[in-house]
Amino acid sequence: MSALLSVENLRIELDTRAGVAPVIDDLSFSLNAGETLSFVGESGCGKSMTALAIMGLLPEKIGRVASGSILFNGEDITKASDERLREIRGNDISMIFQEPMTSLNPVFTIGEQVAEVLRRHQKLGRKAAWSTAVELLNSVRIPDAARRAKSYPHQLSGGQRQRVMIAMALACKPRILIADEPTTALDVTIQAQIFDLLEDLQAQTGSAIIMITHDMGVVAEIAERMIVMYAGRMVEHGNVDDVLSRPRHPYTKGLIGCVPHLMATLTDSRPELTEISGIVPGLNEFGQNACLFASRCNLVGQQCVQARPKEKQFENTQLSACWHAESV
Amino acid sequence: MESRQTQDEHDTLLEVENLTVRFPVKRGGLFRKKQWLHAVDDISFTIKRGETLALVGESGSGKTTAALAVARLVNAHAGHVHLNNQDFLALDDEQLRTARAGLQFIFQDPYSSLNPRLKAEAIVREPLESLKSSNRQNSGASDANTSQDHDRIVDELFEAVGLRPEQKKLFPHQFSGGQRQRIGIARALATEPALIICDEPVSALDVAVQAQILNLLRKLQTDRNLTYLFISHDLGVVQHMCDTIAVMYMGKIVEYADRLSLFNNPQHPYTAALLSAVPSVDRNRRSKFKRILIPGDMPDAINPPPGCRFSSRCPAAQPACEESQPELTAKKSGHLVACHLVSETGESPIHFKR
Repeated sequence: MSALLSVENLRIELDTRAGVAPVIDDLSFSLNAGETLSFVGESGCGKSMTALAIMGLLPEKIGRVASGSILFNGEDITKASDERLREIRGNDISMIFQEPMTSLNPVFTIGEQVAEVLRRHQKLGRKAAWSTAVELLNSVRIPDAARRAKSYPHQLSGGQRQRVMIAMALACKPRILIADEPTTALDVTIQAQIFDLLEDLQAQTGSAIIMITHDMGVVAEIAERMIVMYAGRMVEHGNVDDVLSRPRHPYTKGLIGCVPHLMATLTDSRPELTEISGIVPGLNEFGQNACLFASRCNLVGQQCVQARPKEKQFENTQLSACWHAESV
Repeated sequence: MESRQTQDEHDTLLEVENLTVRFPVKRGGLFRKKQWLHAVDDISFTIKRGETLALVGESGSGKTTAALAVARLVNAHAGHVHLNNQDFLALDDEQLRTARAGLQFIFQDPYSSLNPRLKAEAIVREPLESLKSSNRQNSGASDANTSQDHDRIVDELFEAVGLRPEQKKLFPHQFSGGQRQRIGIARALATEPALIICDEPVSALDVAVQAQILNLLRKLQTDRNLTYLFISHDLGVVQHMCDTIAVMYMGKIVEYADRLSLFNNPQHPYTAALLSAVPSVDRNRRSKFKRILIPGDMPDAINPPPGCRFSSRCPAAQPACEESQPELTAKKSGHLVACHLVSETGESPIHFKR
């Protein structure tokens, strides 16, 4: 089966004050129809930049695809015209963002904003678009949707605003939904509601989901495969269960161990959390021919600072970009 | 005050009784009745010396307001706060300034809680200076050596929180988020407070840095026998840091229990829902517990539901729950629970184990 989305050797460069930085450095992965893939990493690791590249929304003038390709259904969208991209966005690929307040327009009612998507992309008339919008708001479990459609964003709670964003994103039944930290600004019980909703909608529409998060718990809860990013590079890739139970990159291992998780049974022992010493490299250090994690790694050896690690593949298809992958 | 100092109470550092904080709400209409938002509604808890109590809850639960009221950074409408057997809410301004040395804050946002115009050492030194000025007024002691003393204390604090001596001369913007939080911790330790209130101390930090700060807080607690009042929405962090947990919902404590018991055997339906909503990397946990979804959002805090405040979202609610407000009562399980439906023995109406 050929993949729905296939990213090959993608390199994205960003102009910074210190020069050109490869914020995505030779990234390859594929996404199959209907599956959920998660990107994990700290701020600045390139996970959101990947999403923006797929959407064709890289920061204008300063960001560009330097090499590689993004194939959606076989079509390279890095070479698509602006017009074609507008068609793809919304219809085929859509996105929800972290802060639902700033992504909604404060001067239009939520019904109008959802209806606009339908008029623009599905060429529905005013009335048809409005009634479909109300149905959509209902399907994302906005209570009393017909009346609520006439509300402005500030009249809704954070959870409801995120539901509106989901309604807009799913209005045209996209093949891919990119969710960039969709619940980071929300309380945990509201987060559970949103995940439940996404799972339901995914089952109905068959959309594939790319979930961007920093929370390993979220990954475990909703994704089948995961990619761990560090300083613009993929450091580990594999099935969620495999990676979480046996990480093959020291950074992944650190990310899992540095957070106190709720376990099945709590005991009296509270071991120290694993610390990842130091901080993420600055943009001026991106792109070196070395392991960028070396300065924070306790397995660091001579080879790590002399050459970028080759990806090592394990039998269970897990990939690790570490010279010491076997001994992690 | 003498009578308070029995042996058991000597161990108690902070005792909060029936604390209530309310804010007036302006809502149109000249002749409208004045309305109140009860941000914290009649809560009581105690913290023993050297231990950590967590106030947990979601946004709007009143956990931060409760902490601010304990420190008298907002005014309590009713209730008592005893810190070190001293009636904290009854102190006048002058006494309060001295007494505040015994109670310090670590704030959530290390970016906005440090004065950008002061060097790191001046930030850490500031509480010492203000304590000195209030002490001098009280005792008239000479301060010839205090400046050197302060230098020594600042040096020692920088080392204790893991900052290098040469970083004393830097300004806040020259530090990373984690390092700034270390400055905030050093500042909180400067006056050797008996109680430190940690208000979401790691939620603004990247996950890799959180571990450093949490480990540091625990190490300092052991080394210096510190007592923490820990405010957090992150149940993983709470589980790791705290001995006793009070779960808040809409200004009320709904469940109060020790760490193991609360996490392994939650009894209030809200606690159960909250715990079940936390995404976990542990496959066994996911197969052991169901996800309990509670519908909707927290209701309007100005017109809370009559009866139990959680009744509008509670999956187990009965008609009786909407009629009277449940009291926080002790169950045989050792938990304090405010729910009509939890039995005497601590049987929860919610079965969230599969």
